[in-house]
Amino acid sequence: MSEVVEPKSAETKSLGEKLLSIPKPALYLALILATAVPLFFPVPLPNEPKDTAKALFAAINEIPDESTVIIQSDWTESTRGESRGQMDILLRMLMRKNVKFAICSAADPQAPEVFRNLVFKLNAERKELKLREYKKWDDWVELGFYPSAEALGQAIAADIRGAFAGKRDAPPGGDDRPVFESPVLKDIVKVDDLSMYLVVTGTKSIIIAIERFSDKVKMGGMVTGVMGPETANYFYSGQLKGLSAGLKGVYDMCSLEEVAHPGTTKLKREEQYILSLHVAIFLLIAAVIVGNVGVFLTRRSKP
Amino acid sequence: MSYEDFQKIKIFCGVIATIGLYTVLYKENKFYRFFEHMFLGLAGGWMLVTLWTESLKEAWWDAMMGRVSDAGTPVVESNGNYIWALLLPIGIMGYFVVSKKHAWMSRVPIGIIIGLWSGQQFSAWLKKYGPQLQASMSPIAPTNVESFFRPVPTDAADLVEIAKFTYPSQAIVNLVALITLLSVLSYFLFSIDFKSKAMLGMTKLGRYLLMIGFGAIFGSTVMMRFSLLIDRMYFIFIEFVKQTLFGLT
Repeated sequence: MSEVVEPKSAETKSLGEKLLSIPKPALYLALILATAVPLFFPVPLPNEPKDTAKALFAAINEIPDESTVIIQSDWTESTRGESRGQMDILLRMLMRKNVKFAICSAADPQAPEVFRNLVFKLNAERKELKLREYKKWDDWVELGFYPSAEALGQAIAADIRGAFAGKRDAPPGGDDRPVFESPVLKDIVKVDDLSMYLVVTGTKSIIIAIERFSDKVKMGGMVTGVMGPETANYFYSGQLKGLSAGLKGVYDMCSLEEVAHPGTTKLKREEQYILSLHVAIFLLIAAVIVGNVGVFLTRRSKP
Repeated sequence: MSYEDFQKIKIFCGVIATIGLYTVLYKENKFYRFFEHMFLGLAGGWMLVTLWTESLKEAWWDAMMGRVSDAGTPVVESNGNYIWALLLPIGIMGYFVVSKKHAWMSRVPIGIIIGLWSGQQFSAWLKKYGPQLQASMSPIAPTNVESFFRPVPTDAADLVEIAKFTYPSQAIVNLVALITLLSVLSYFLFSIDFKSKAMLGMTKLGRYLLMIGFGAIFGSTVMMRFSLLIDRMYFIFIEFVKQTLFGLT
């Protein structure tokens, strides 16, 4: 007959066992506090932008004013923490330079709507600041959602006009017309005519785009932390002209833009995010140390 | 209802859904299940509509049926081309994968997709890895020892001039990259039984360097997961509580 082991009460547990049995809800609560509280007390942290972000910042600044770029927007609310900041700073930089942009998506059907909402928000902000509104059709057009990133990339590389043939857009209140009649795309005949092709993504769609046409057009990437290490290879091999990865990438880009054009970015919001991230990482490290100390003490106390 | 009121209700619904989904941390519950199913239903419905409005309508339907301008006097903008209709049965064949009797039909569209994909892979592989192979062949001997680190360029011309040289710090980095490349490759040489201590050490180094690489990738992944949580906290406490409820900026 097997012996039934009674669970130890808190009083009978050794320190090591107590450290190893911290209840999960307590850890979740600590994590919520660690991520929420710093949001109310933003403190600028010292920051040295990474080479990848510096290169992207320089590449975007080198785009000729009033020329045309394509933005592939493959992010949704699920990666908003990183991707919204990426897209926000990218659009602010392009709008500052009056660069026209066409937008397409190839990873998630929700992406076009998320992007649209961000442009509308930025336009409302520009209106308040008495800046020129970025007009649909004249300054930007939508190229739609494509369910296969491979097919889209291949089509763009082979014949950009064919890839978006039949695609229509319209100015506010106007009739829709083929996008290649718009001031944004009228001079674009092949992918080489674009000043840059920028991908903001939380997926591998950037790698699919690199595989298809990185030899034809300058490419820049803004990716999530998960995709960062993998995508960095393409920066160091020269296939990407610049790369912003994760929250650190957003913070780098905002910091660089603030130095050149103070008060034009959402740096304060990114300071809140990056501070919360640091506090959460400290909590994680503390939890790892506590767990290891618990294991050490428990093993030592065993006969 | 004003637009602002609608926005407030939208954010409130978002907050309730966020909290509902996080309740799973406590335990599996009906509140969580409700929001999970609602999310899946919304995402599925949204996908169907978007596929039509953003993609199929213009790329396939208009191309097949032709297009007549609806602005004032009707004008034929493009003629229909019914050959596009052939895509429909091919696409529908894909759904026969769920039928035991007719599953063979699904192989037709799957075969077409695999064929197209395979054809692309030759050039895609070369464009993906070619520049990386080239970039990995970097000099491991410095060609300029005036400065240990690469100088900061003052202008574009200076950048071009500096790029011609390999500085000692770059040479060290290139050497580390070369050792990493060779040791990791040696770790994956399973067809040769290594006996020499040097080669065994090399494969061991490769294993450790792989682990360091995986650790860095894992760390980056953890930070990304944290950023998702931070964003949800920002949404609840800053966008909803602070900005929407209390009207603070």
